[in-house]
Amino acid sequence: MRNRLKDLRSQRNWTQAELAEHAGVSRQTINAIEKEKFDPSLPLAFRLARLFDLSIEEIFED
Amino acid sequence: MQAPDQTGHYRDEMKASAGLAVWTLAWVGTLALAVFGPELLWDSQPVASWAAVATNVAAGTGLILAHARYLRKIDELQRKINLDALAITLGVGYVVGFAYMAASIGDLIAFDGNASIALFSVLLSVIYMGTIVVGNLRYR
Repeated sequence: MRNRLKDLRSQRNWTQAELAEHAGVSRQTINAIEKEKFDPSLPLAFRLARLFDLSIEEIFED
Repeated sequence: MQAPDQTGHYRDEMKASAGLAVWTLAWVGTLALAVFGPELLWDSQPVASWAAVATNVAAGTGLILAHARYLRKIDELQRKINLDALAITLGVGYVVGFAYMAASIGDLIAFDGNASIALFSVLLSVIYMGTIVVGNLRYR
């Protein structure tokens, strides 16, 4: 699944580890999502959307 | 920005991991007792042997529940890696297990059956650990 996670993280000058800590997952998970190797669960997608004050659709797309 | 309670999440994950480790040790320990006890400790008395087997089954039940709890608590990518590894291990278990049974019925197995079962368990453990490593490399 394509996503804007890396861009959004960079805009806030966060490391993958910092984003992972805020989202409640491992850095490996954030890295896998950014590389589009792994699709997050719906609860995690909601948490990420809340962190960036965006809707899920604004971060992820098919 | 509101950060969720990550300390609690991490604590839950570590607690589930520790629980799994404790139950794994308990199961291995009681298995050793059930296997070696009759010969080394209680001179093959049936009551003691049955008690040891029952203790091993109880510890095994605890291990199964601890593993299920562990899978619920770990990070979602790790959960996927673990479930993929379990699926492959279960599949190999069925395929190799039934192939072994067919070969055994056809009198094609020349070596000791007890040794084969132990070897089969080791094979499944190696496959599980190997697929966990491959999964982690894949999502690195």
